[in-house]
Amino acid sequence: MKKMDISTILASAIHESKNQVGTLLYQLQGLKESIPESDSKNKKITIIEESLKKLNDEWVEYLYLYKLASDGYQLHVDTFSIDEFLDDQVFALLSSANAKNLKLTYACPENLMGVFDERLMTAVVGTAVYNALRFARSTIEINASIEDGYLIIGIDDDGHGFDNSEEEDLVESNTGLGLYFAQLSASAHISKGKSGFLKKERSPTLKGARLAIYLPQ
Amino acid sequence: MDSSDFASKKALLIEDMAEARIMQKKMLSDFGFRHIEIAMKAETAMELLKTQSFDVILSDYNLGNGKDGQQLLEEVRHSNLIPNTATYLMVTAETSIEMVMGAIEFQPDGYITKPFSQAVLQRRLSKLLEMKNRLYKVNRALDQKDYDKAMEEAKQVMEQHPSLEGKCQRVIGDCLIEKEQYEQALALFSNILKDRKMPWALFGEAKACFYMGMLDKSENKFRQLMLDNRFFVSAYDWLAKIKTAQKKYHEAQSILIEALQRSPKNLLRQIHLGELSFTIGDYLTAESAFRRAVFLARHSCYNTSDVYLRHIESIVKLAESTPLQSRQKEQFNITLKKIHRYFFEESDTRAKTYSYQLELALLEKDLITAKGFLKLWQQEAESGEATAPTDQQLTHYHAAFGEKNEENGH
Repeated sequence: MKKMDISTILASAIHESKNQVGTLLYQLQGLKESIPESDSKNKKITIIEESLKKLNDEWVEYLYLYKLASDGYQLHVDTFSIDEFLDDQVFALLSSANAKNLKLTYACPENLMGVFDERLMTAVVGTAVYNALRFARSTIEINASIEDGYLIIGIDDDGHGFDNSEEEDLVESNTGLGLYFAQLSASAHISKGKSGFLKKERSPTLKGARLAIYLPQ
Repeated sequence: MDSSDFASKKALLIEDMAEARIMQKKMLSDFGFRHIEIAMKAETAMELLKTQSFDVILSDYNLGNGKDGQQLLEEVRHSNLIPNTATYLMVTAETSIEMVMGAIEFQPDGYITKPFSQAVLQRRLSKLLEMKNRLYKVNRALDQKDYDKAMEEAKQVMEQHPSLEGKCQRVIGDCLIEKEQYEQALALFSNILKDRKMPWALFGEAKACFYMGMLDKSENKFRQLMLDNRFFVSAYDWLAKIKTAQKKYHEAQSILIEALQRSPKNLLRQIHLGELSFTIGDYLTAESAFRRAVFLARHSCYNTSDVYLRHIESIVKLAESTPLQSRQKEQFNITLKKIHRYFFEESDTRAKTYSYQLELALLEKDLITAKGFLKLWQQEAESGEATAPTDQQLTHYHAAFGEKNEENGH
């Protein structure tokens, strides 16, 4: 028998699982609509929904990770209004933050424009925010600016911060996949000989951790 | 956006999976859409698009066995079956999105990946409609083929909404190409590429070079696009055009065959391959290309008699060199029946059909049948149902019948 590439097999297995999560989400939505909003079961359904959404986002991240690592990802960059992009991210992740009683906001200069792969950066911001959800005490902020020809997207929280070995360890112990994925995604962005990169910092505003993604413009 | 904006709009929902279809239809009506048509496959959607106009088209990429959502989009955009002002939102899975994003030439206005919630769809759709609204004057001018106006409007939109600059620049570049101002188009696209390697700008450059006759340069750019973008299949069509212009027909033919292996359901490419094969006298390939084209044409907006006539013509050409196999004869009759069913009202089509049937009978040395066809043809020509055979044709037939030329003149 021909030997098959195990990572390809895993990638298609993940894809299958992801599709099933999608079907479950559809069915759950149907269920949700069939019961009145006041029903106490609604809360439970929302929790299940949030978990499934997160699971779906994680599968997507793994699929992209596989493609990035095997040079099979085709980067499609376009110009975006950063305000709109961050607004979209907060919109998609707000319910997860609310479920944990955390505040999720974004801040960026008006009319800021940036060039990047939207799908990839959506997955990266999602990964970073899901991670921050585990450490933030009350607040997470996504922000953006342009400095020295780089678009910088930052995810700040008010947790212990990266200097605290605990948070660092936990990021790594989560097999470090999230960070690795963010790193590959950043470095896939290349413009005029410069590639993107990550910085793990202390948040100057929220005093917790800050993950900054640098994308060459 | 409030629901009254949706209420006045007409939507077409194309989705093959029942569960998703019911869910999405419910979402659309919750948004306020009052008029929603539904198609379960691309072929049905095509029929609806031919007879009605829609403001919003929500189409799944994956549509079962027939055409996929991208092929449907390309066909309706290419043939201007939907106006530029209409909004096309493609629903994709993680695996199929690359096919959509890689198709540089015809892209949907937006896409949304499964699974999505009602809130996410509403947001996407609202934003998309807002964007189309901002570009409305540009797109209306494009629909009216008023390219000067479109460029002027695009410049204005670009100033007001910097986020739409890329889209507007692309429109301006494409308008310049339409106006055959290739140097200006090339300068515009090159200028954008200085800043950033945008595939659409490279595509624009490649097109401009092609029209300026810089074929090698154009080829290099298309090859670069194909390297960067393995899902950009229409680059093959352009390469084939370049090879044809260079009179390298066999190379052009193999390029098209390769592209068709990747997307066999592309009707225009099948027709292109068929025509090219006619040019080089490869009637076997021409026959198979037109046979597939006939099969694909029925539910497309290119369902004209030409495709069918070319198919039976290719079989006649095959018969010129070797006697037909029974399978080929069968194919001839199948397509013949379709011509009778769909196109026999057209007098030119009738004439051409008789000429091929007559020719085939002659090649098979069946003079009685051949004469029968000629008689029928001439009768119908007299009644005005068919176009009359030309003098040249008559001379040829009578010679073949072994009759003398003077016998036909009365």
